[in-house]
Amino acid sequence: MAGVLTEPPAPTATPEVSLFRVLLEMRGAIMKRRSATPKGLAGLLALLVVVLLMAVSTLLAGVAHYAHQGAGADVVAVLTLGWLLGWIIGPLFAGDDSTLRMDYFKLLPVPADRLSWAMLGAAFADVSLVFSLVAFASVTAYGLRSGAAAGCVGAVATLLTLALAVVSSRAAVCLLGPRVSSRRGRDFGTVVIALAITAFSLASSLVPLAAKILTEGRSPALSATVRVLPSGWGAVAVAAAARSDWAEAVLVLLALAALVVGITATLPALLRRRLTMSTRAGSRTRVRQASQSRPILPTTPFGAVVGKELRLYSRSMMRSVSLMIAFLVGVFVCVIPGLSGAKLMMPFAGLGFAAIAAACFTNLYGDDGTALWLMLTNPPTAAADVRGRQAAWALLVGPLSLVLTVVLTAVSGERWAWPWVLAGEPALVGGAAGLTVWISALSVFPPAADGGPTPQRQLKVNLSLILIPLLTLAPAALPPVLGTVGHSAALRWAGVPVGVVWGSVLWWGLGRLAERTLTSSGPEIFARLRRTG
Amino acid sequence: MLHAMTDTGDSVPALRLRGLTKRFGEVVAVNSMDLTVPQGSFFGMVGPNGAGKTTALSMAVGLLRPDEGHAEVFGHDVWSDPIGAKSLIGVLPDGLALPDRLTGREVLTYLGLLRGMDRETVARRAGELLEVLELDGAEGTAVVDYSTGMRKKITLATALLHGPRLLLLDEPFEAVDPVSAATIRTILQRFVSGGGSVIFSSHVMALVEQLCDRVAVVSGGRVEAAGTLDDVRGSQSLDEAFVHIVGARTGGAEGLSWLAS
Repeated sequence: MAGVLTEPPAPTATPEVSLFRVLLEMRGAIMKRRSATPKGLAGLLALLVVVLLMAVSTLLAGVAHYAHQGAGADVVAVLTLGWLLGWIIGPLFAGDDSTLRMDYFKLLPVPADRLSWAMLGAAFADVSLVFSLVAFASVTAYGLRSGAAAGCVGAVATLLTLALAVVSSRAAVCLLGPRVSSRRGRDFGTVVIALAITAFSLASSLVPLAAKILTEGRSPALSATVRVLPSGWGAVAVAAAARSDWAEAVLVLLALAALVVGITATLPALLRRRLTMSTRAGSRTRVRQASQSRPILPTTPFGAVVGKELRLYSRSMMRSVSLMIAFLVGVFVCVIPGLSGAKLMMPFAGLGFAAIAAACFTNLYGDDGTALWLMLTNPPTAAADVRGRQAAWALLVGPLSLVLTVVLTAVSGERWAWPWVLAGEPALVGGAAGLTVWISALSVFPPAADGGPTPQRQLKVNLSLILIPLLTLAPAALPPVLGTVGHSAALRWAGVPVGVVWGSVLWWGLGRLAERTLTSSGPEIFARLRRTG
Repeated sequence: MLHAMTDTGDSVPALRLRGLTKRFGEVVAVNSMDLTVPQGSFFGMVGPNGAGKTTALSMAVGLLRPDEGHAEVFGHDVWSDPIGAKSLIGVLPDGLALPDRLTGREVLTYLGLLRGMDRETVARRAGELLEVLELDGAEGTAVVDYSTGMRKKITLATALLHGPRLLLLDEPFEAVDPVSAATIRTILQRFVSGGGSVIFSSHVMALVEQLCDRVAVVSGGRVEAAGTLDDVRGSQSLDEAFVHIVGARTGGAEGLSWLAS
């Protein structure tokens, strides 16, 4: 090692090498590696097709003719808003900026300003921008329908909106990134994904409603809102140009350009903050200290598990958000159609909530990861664990579901629904209490390396969402079906005791099965959790 | 090569592994391992990475089912008499999860009640453990926000809570700061001088030399040498004896001429 002391230190920075080019090469290498596998390539192609279809349909919405005056601008504004939100939320899906992660650059002796400009340049030199360009061109298409001049205004608006999307996306990564890379932050990332999925499912009932309202010009408030947001400014400028109101058109375009410049100017500061920020900043939660003795729960192994589970439901973000999503989706999907007069679904909101809440918790042992060691190294505690988990879930979901069912059935005025929903409540809540622990013990999917749920886990949740209502509700629904067909009120109401009995049988029986599985193959389940966990 | 030690006297060993074997596909992680840990001993298990230490300890505590062989705790077979065996042991695994949204005290309370202890005893012992392990300053902090050292300490507390007679610790000093390590060391020494038995795995030879009266060198899934510390190391340091027994070659002397100081 003689040379160690004699050779000069290596240069610490190489300003002559373009940082921008290095970033591009790095991203290219990462992308190439990612799409090298057949699976990766297939996924990429599928994504391309979907995004292309979305972009083209957005463009076509700008070309379409709307009966109501100004509806075209509203629709273009709404769709642009959707794309812009995608740009801002998209990086969170990937857990951070998925290819050029900020953490790679934390230790480099490169000034944040230079890095910021290079990263922004790399963001603009991205082929996938073509799709967004096609989508944002809907405002150009909308302008061309009113003439070449309005088309030109639209073209400028398209480019400015694209620039807005790119710089907003960079700003979002800088602002939200740190949380995404911390342990609790991965919770946050999971939550964002869950919320996005919820938003998509809600959108399926909300978007047709919103589009209908906008195209018919029924809601000036909604129309004004989508135009006031920056995503709507392009449409506003084009609409002004179509009226030959050039002053307004130019002013609005200038405002859009100013916004882009403004956000761009803050990027170096945001990046500096992001690179120097502790990943755990602000993520700690102080747990409220309970008084020493709180003898609500029994002082038994069962009581201990119920207490632990109830705390986890309130403190684990993944669990509390799953419950919240179950509530929102269950209620909204059944209540939103009611707003336009179709109240048929309203009585079933409580059951919908319980079914989704059950499906979300069919991977209890997988989600807890290797914490199963505590059960395996203790003298047998599987029974207490299973029964405690069942009780905690039912305590949280049961009463709320029942209240929803009773209140919304009463409000809806759908009196025929009473025997159906009251038979379904005990069957679904009791049965799901059994099914959640049984499915959780039968198949475990540990969290991915980044702490989030794996695709297999999500598939299991989706399958459970179909399976759980089918298995629990079918026997309880039989008497009401027969009663309705045979015009017998007594038979219709016979579903309630059937539901109670069926729910109890599933609760007890499947709980027992889960307990046996855990006792007999605990180490094998643990091995699966440890290998991938 | 030294032979695995034999029983001392008539007392039942705290831990005895007989012909313990585990294969993962083609790889034999633990190969017919025999090991005896006498009562009252402070036993160190050393070996290179991938030697099979964690796999062997996992089989000894009921976390991993062996393909062949037996593990006995004070004469109770871990796999055929799990209640008898598991009520006598305390386990500190390396890197496994806890219900980490609970605070330290809540984790201990939950585990104590799960073991069927009464609330007063659990509350008293949890309080003492948190104080001795210097975790009482973090009463309002959930385990998810603990540092690595704090995590080790709370896991050690869960292992001690029910008053076990044998502690099995997988890398208890890994990634722990010197102050926390000293605390853990003192507690373990008190546990042994009070009649308890400890077996722990480690890479740190100096620590094993300082703490243990007995040691086993594990390599390639087998016990290559075991016995009292002096038996195993002979006239050399444990470090030298280890390299000699494992037959490893130390690298790092070639190349890197550009690496300036």
